[in-house]
Amino acid sequence: MARQDALQGSLHLLVLTLLARRGPLHGYALTVQIEGMSNDTLRVQEGSLYPALHRLEEAGWIKARWATTDTGRKARVYEITARGRKQLESEEERWKAVTAAVGQILKQA
Amino acid sequence: MSLWSRLSNVFRTDRIDRDLDDEIHFHIEERARELMAEGRSRDEAVRQAERKFGNRLQLREQSRDVKMLPWLDSAITDASLGVRMMRKNAVATATTLVSLSLALGACAAAFSLLDALVFRPLPVRQPDQLVYLSFPTYVPERPESETFNDPTFVRLRDAGREYVDLFAMSTQVIRTAQFEGATGAREPIRTQHVSGDAFERLGVVPAAGRLIGSHDDGQPGASPVAVISHAFWMGRFGGDPGAIGRSFLLQERLYDIVGIAEPRFNGIEPGRPTDVWLPYAMYDPRAFGNAGFNWFRVMGRLKNGAEPHQAQSVLQVAFSAFRRDVVSGLGPDRSPEREKEFLGTPLHVRTAATGVSPLRRQFERPLWILAAIAGLVLLVAGSNVANLSLARAAAREHEMALRLSIGAGRGRLIQQVLIESALVAVAASALAFCLGAVAAPAVVAMLSPSNDPVTLDLRMDWRLASFAGGLVVIATALFGLAPAVRASGVTPIAALKGTRTGGGHRTRAMRPLIAFQVAFGVIVLLVGGLLVQSFARLSTVPPGFTASNVLLLSLETVERVDLERRRAALLGVLDHLGRIPSVVAVSSAEYNLIGRAWTHNVRVPGTAHDTFETTMTPVTHGFFETMMIPLVAGRTYSRHDVDRNAPATIIVNESFARRYYGSETAVGQVFEETFFDDGAAVQHEIIGVVADTKYDLRQPAAPMLYLPMPFRSAGTLHVRVSENPTTIAPQLIEEVKTAGPLFRVTSARRQSAVIEGTMLRERLLALLSAFFATVGLVLAAVGLYGVLSYSVVQRTAEIGLRMALGARQASVIATVLTDTAKAVAAGAAGGLAAGLFFARFVENLLFEVKPLDTWSLGLPLGALLLVAVAAATVPAKRAAQIDPVIALRYE
Repeated sequence: MARQDALQGSLHLLVLTLLARRGPLHGYALTVQIEGMSNDTLRVQEGSLYPALHRLEEAGWIKARWATTDTGRKARVYEITARGRKQLESEEERWKAVTAAVGQILKQA
Repeated sequence: MSLWSRLSNVFRTDRIDRDLDDEIHFHIEERARELMAEGRSRDEAVRQAERKFGNRLQLREQSRDVKMLPWLDSAITDASLGVRMMRKNAVATATTLVSLSLALGACAAAFSLLDALVFRPLPVRQPDQLVYLSFPTYVPERPESETFNDPTFVRLRDAGREYVDLFAMSTQVIRTAQFEGATGAREPIRTQHVSGDAFERLGVVPAAGRLIGSHDDGQPGASPVAVISHAFWMGRFGGDPGAIGRSFLLQERLYDIVGIAEPRFNGIEPGRPTDVWLPYAMYDPRAFGNAGFNWFRVMGRLKNGAEPHQAQSVLQVAFSAFRRDVVSGLGPDRSPEREKEFLGTPLHVRTAATGVSPLRRQFERPLWILAAIAGLVLLVAGSNVANLSLARAAAREHEMALRLSIGAGRGRLIQQVLIESALVAVAASALAFCLGAVAAPAVVAMLSPSNDPVTLDLRMDWRLASFAGGLVVIATALFGLAPAVRASGVTPIAALKGTRTGGGHRTRAMRPLIAFQVAFGVIVLLVGGLLVQSFARLSTVPPGFTASNVLLLSLETVERVDLERRRAALLGVLDHLGRIPSVVAVSSAEYNLIGRAWTHNVRVPGTAHDTFETTMTPVTHGFFETMMIPLVAGRTYSRHDVDRNAPATIIVNESFARRYYGSETAVGQVFEETFFDDGAAVQHEIIGVVADTKYDLRQPAAPMLYLPMPFRSAGTLHVRVSENPTTIAPQLIEEVKTAGPLFRVTSARRQSAVIEGTMLRERLLALLSAFFATVGLVLAAVGLYGVLSYSVVQRTAEIGLRMALGARQASVIATVLTDTAKAVAAGAAGGLAAGLFFARFVENLLFEVKPLDTWSLGLPLGALLLVAVAAATVPAKRAAQIDPVIALRYE
């Protein structure tokens, strides 16, 4: 449970970052990327990514369309929007501020 | 995502689910492929991929929540809950639906009728620029005339040029035409003569061929062409392009069809579409230059920027000048008062934006009255709905309280109740729409006798849709909101504890509604009662002759013959018919007694100028016997009187004798008068006096003068038969053909049907208002019953306690009834006052009935009392039979 919670809080940030750096991706690709990058630390039930994606879409930070993959299959591909990039910047800063603060506390404690 | 797409998502949950499923499916497939690449079997790979993915259903729910506006989703839930509740209370729902849809349907029907007859502009270019001319006639039955003669028109047209372009369109006349040559069938067509510039001024274009133009206005009789309407083209020729170029026989002339008018234009009279337009110059040649031949309407299109009053001022000058010329040509033989009246007659310029319609003049007010009555019934029905939903809200107090206490917002509860009202309203309006679609044409059929049907374009367009939509919205807001607010005003603690402190409030909230309901009901009853009584009285007015079993056969001469041959042939037909066993008596008359086809001004003896109007009725021998008009003095016509050439013998009615001779006996008197245009003054001898008959049941009998049939036309056969006139009619038509090949029967009507035809307006009002009054009464009864039963249930414990303490049954019943009785009394009083006010609008449609009659006031009150007592009986009985022990234990 703890691992999941940790992921949930930062899932938005992760998704936005990935989409900003790697370009449009479908849900499965995002799952694989998150798993790969975090060395399986952030391993969760894969399905829980999707409500997060839909919330981001609802907020207008990412947009989705149906596209054909290299293997010739139909997939729903997500892409970051301009508003999403702005959101990413501010979330990144907040994240950095928070982790810095937490690091500070851990050091001094 | 925009608000719209979210809103639309609510109604596209299927698509969202499908998108989600596709997305999930793709994910699992990809994962499975990867696993298969690692060497697992397909089945196992898929299983593992699904496990890794997690709970699909839960995921779907989560995503859907994100994608839809939550309140709209809850609205759908509320609606389905509402439908379930409606199913549970099937009887209440059915009552509500039927009453609401009846009232809504009636409103919608009334609106579509009014729209077709009154509101809708003519489908021509800038209809608001169109005007028509009219002037007062000072004759009570027809206060205003809109027909003009050729010389007046020419003067007016030239005088008005600066402000208005005047053109002529004759009144519509049904004539018989033969499209298949002289031996073909005779078909009735609605014809209208128009001046050459009429179509151009109106802005009507041809659908094919050409329209009537200025070049058709040349010499009278020189241009026998015709333009047919698009509807007639489709109906008569099936849209065959070959119709142009065909010809038809009309009044012994051959007309060529030269064009078809555009589909949307069917003349300028709503309700009476024109089939065929003919050139102005093709009218009766005697009409041209003749100031005595009034036969067409003068229409006009105002020039850009011109105002009707500017046109009126110049036209008035020309109109008055023309009348001065006419008077100076007549010589001094006129009363000065009438001459002054004649010369000072104003000319009205009236708007023709929605057409010119005698039908509208006759039925606009009745339709408004019916619309108002339907509106009142809608209010009664709406109060019922409000009461029912109040009662239901009370029954659901527990549910509401529970929901409130577990955290539902009050707004959410209001929403729930409002959505339920809206559901009822929408269902009712769907039913109402079907009802209106049936009712409106049925009313149209009641506007005219069956041989001259009215055709109203009752289309379902945006006007009707927005009207009905508006009604539904208003109905929901009016009758749904009050119960909704009440429902949310529940205090959870009290309701959950089950104490019934709130009960008193609720019946208090219902009582004003009951008062309103009763008031509206009384208005409808009062006005409906007046209209029904009026029709009842009118239809029992004796016309002065016996109409039953009289059949009227209108004849037409098939070929042009001289007077002598026509006379001989017609007398032959009379003799032949008289020998048929089932014919009791037979005679002929130029006109029927109902209506006033020919009037003549007879000079009042002993005065210089005064005249009185007398109705002229040329008849053959046997007429008074056939119609059973009693002879008062002298004798009736014999065959000999009719055989003579000169109409020297006349018979008058009692009114005439009184008017002309005072108390003197009229028989044997001689007076000199010219009755026919071409004749010289003739000495007439009065040979008999007969009882008065009515030409209009509403009017007192007028002076009437009978003279021997001059055989100017074939006239109408009046046949009294011993069996049903309708069943014997075909046989008599055959007999006429056998006896006189010279004649053809153009129509067969029952005399009683002709009389009924004069009471269409009264009949329409009486039938429909009686229907609505009944509906209103039943609804009021249902409402009363509902409220009383409810209050008995509410107060069961209280009543039980009082009975346990020794209260008598009568006082218990009184407790239950008093408050409601007060509401009913207040409603009845208010309704009477409002009804009397409303009655002023129908007063001039009433015949010998006054709103303040004992009957007029007593009828609605009596009916209401009866219904109130009936509605109260069952609840009162129930209250009286409450067993104190059970009631108290219940608590």
